[in-house]
Amino acid sequence: MKLFKNGSLAIGNSADLESADVLVDDDGLIRATGRELEADESTEIIDCGGCILVPGMFDLHVHSRDPGGEHKETLDTCAAAALHGGVTGMVLMPDTDPPIDSGNQVKNIHERAEGIGSLDILQSGCLTKGRSGEKLAGYSGMVTQGSPLLTDSGRDVPCPDLLRRAMEYAHDFDILVACFCDTPALTRGGVINEGRASYRLGLPGAPAISQEIAIDRNLRVAQNTGARIHIQLPSTAVGARSLRRAKEDGAAVSSEVALHHLLFNEEMVTDYDSRFKFDPPLRLPEDCAALWDALLDDTIDLITSDHSPHTPFEKSTDFGSAPSGSSSLETTVLVFHDRFIKTGKCGWNFLIRKYSDNPRTLIGKEKLSWEEGRRAEFFVFDPESETRLSTDYFKTKSPVSLFQDETVSGAIRETVIGVQSFS
Amino acid sequence: MSKMKPRKDLLDIESLSLEEIEHVLSNAGPFKELFQRSVKKVPTLRGKTVLSLFYEASTRTSSSFEVAANRLSADVTNFSVSTSSITKGESLLDTIETLQAMRSDYIVIRHQSAGVPALLAKHTRASVLNAGDGFHAHPTQALLDAFTFREKFPDLKGKKIVIVGDILHSRVARSTSTIFQKLGVEVAVLGPSSLVPEGRPEFMQRLSSWEDVFDWKPDAVYLLRVQLERQNGQFFPGIAEYHRMYGLNSERLKVMRERGTYLMHPGPVNRGVEVTDEAMGYEKSLIGTQVENGIAVRMSVLHWLKPKTGME
Repeated sequence: MKLFKNGSLAIGNSADLESADVLVDDDGLIRATGRELEADESTEIIDCGGCILVPGMFDLHVHSRDPGGEHKETLDTCAAAALHGGVTGMVLMPDTDPPIDSGNQVKNIHERAEGIGSLDILQSGCLTKGRSGEKLAGYSGMVTQGSPLLTDSGRDVPCPDLLRRAMEYAHDFDILVACFCDTPALTRGGVINEGRASYRLGLPGAPAISQEIAIDRNLRVAQNTGARIHIQLPSTAVGARSLRRAKEDGAAVSSEVALHHLLFNEEMVTDYDSRFKFDPPLRLPEDCAALWDALLDDTIDLITSDHSPHTPFEKSTDFGSAPSGSSSLETTVLVFHDRFIKTGKCGWNFLIRKYSDNPRTLIGKEKLSWEEGRRAEFFVFDPESETRLSTDYFKTKSPVSLFQDETVSGAIRETVIGVQSFS
Repeated sequence: MSKMKPRKDLLDIESLSLEEIEHVLSNAGPFKELFQRSVKKVPTLRGKTVLSLFYEASTRTSSSFEVAANRLSADVTNFSVSTSSITKGESLLDTIETLQAMRSDYIVIRHQSAGVPALLAKHTRASVLNAGDGFHAHPTQALLDAFTFREKFPDLKGKKIVIVGDILHSRVARSTSTIFQKLGVEVAVLGPSSLVPEGRPEFMQRLSSWEDVFDWKPDAVYLLRVQLERQNGQFFPGIAEYHRMYGLNSERLKVMRERGTYLMHPGPVNRGVEVTDEAMGYEKSLIGTQVENGIAVRMSVLHWLKPKTGME
């Protein structure tokens, strides 16, 4: 048995931390929580004095790059990065090479994932065959194999008729449809938000309306078909407003935000630093503020990392040609703590709700809790320490990060799943 | 000649101080005088090598740089992009490695993607001269425009210039408007909303018609080339309508002639699109002078920049 002693427990429904020890038995189940728990001689005692024990996070938007992009990331390195960042469950996007669009492929990933560190890895499937936006993929096989959601990840379904059929068909399986909202005819070759930054840097711009129109369209189609829709990565105030309205109408809609859309805006893109290249792109300061408000008032349900590993070499080319996104599984909790919790903008309970409870609930999984008999699944966070996000901090295969070489407050000492612990 | 702490690279106009701009412009004068002599060459860059790397087709700018380098006695090599492995998908960083190994002292680069010259500059000891990147910058064009305008108006304060045409896709518009603004010249733009982006700086006030232009009383009209090849969509209905709305036609030329307004254009000119044939013979056209001054200004830039080669 293991006794995590003298720490404080964070929980989703209260801002207060509760001083308690946690006793984990040899099956990896929580045997007891409470003050001053006794331990017998065979029990390993882990002193957590001054530390906070936080339920493991669940990331609904992770690009594992496996198969086809193993030089960027593999299932193993992706899982290692997740655990390193306090994430104990995740949904993998199907935008691999080849894309995951059949039951057999989902089965294959799930089989491979089983052997990895007992964290919860779920493979999502494509909405359309090959993510091509031309034909429906085979939903029944993917659903049977346990895909938690369907998405063309990084691409919208441009044809409204096919989108409608996809949602109608998905509705029969009661499976979540996650939409990357984009109007390709408007985005064209845009690589940065259209506006001051695109003018200043002389780069082709992607207008905000490109995403906003698609959000409206996709919401409308979902409402019309009854499909459960999840809007991925809304990036503007107008998009958040559309979501708010749809929720007021009682639509079955959920949404997510990535940290980079809360913290960074187009004005910060200087010197053609491709780490600032995202899809959807960084927008305006007022958009960041509106997204934070939407997260606060539950218009936006959850936080994702949008972990998008690309190798340092791939990212080091010119801004226009560099791929979008960067690695973020290992920085989301740390940076969120540094920017929002430590500064008093919210408590741990907020992060737990948005990055642990809500994503799990959304795909029909039980929230984590400290109840007796539940599997131990948490990380030990030391708020008094600090973490330098240097290249050797990262366990991802592609250590490219917006927070590179920054020192953030707090440190994740270890992540515990059942009897295993990772640090 | 005036003295100024040298820079390694010339990437844009934004990063230049007013003093640096003054320095390049004032030194271009003596170089231009050289062109009147029978021997147009000076030994300034003897033994130095200039690599010319044009990812986008260009005759004017590449020749202008080549002539400028030759007149400074540098050795010029053209790295032929269209026939090299670059077009076969060699990564930009690998190309940069290759270039670095050639140990050129100066690299003149034009690239369709904004920021490539800056990336190259970061990775090479050679001085990088941006000869145009994406829609971003064309700093030597801006310098030659300012030089040309200042030959006519030695005191630039309060002078006015209107830039007409496709601002959205124009690196010339970006760099040239910036240099004029820095030199105290008022800048306005004329063009359809589809080509005059909202994200432009505030100093670029927008005029809505040629009537507005004439009411504003500019000292020069700067026509941009309508870059049909650059446009991946329909920004205006057609050439005829563009010419009618924004082109310099006979009527508008007549007003300019009456007022003695100068005409500028970065070239090459599309006759019948942004200008009528007649305007090509306009006595106040500075288009030819711009070309000539381009060489002098580029000599001045090459003379000023200092590569970090030979410092290992």
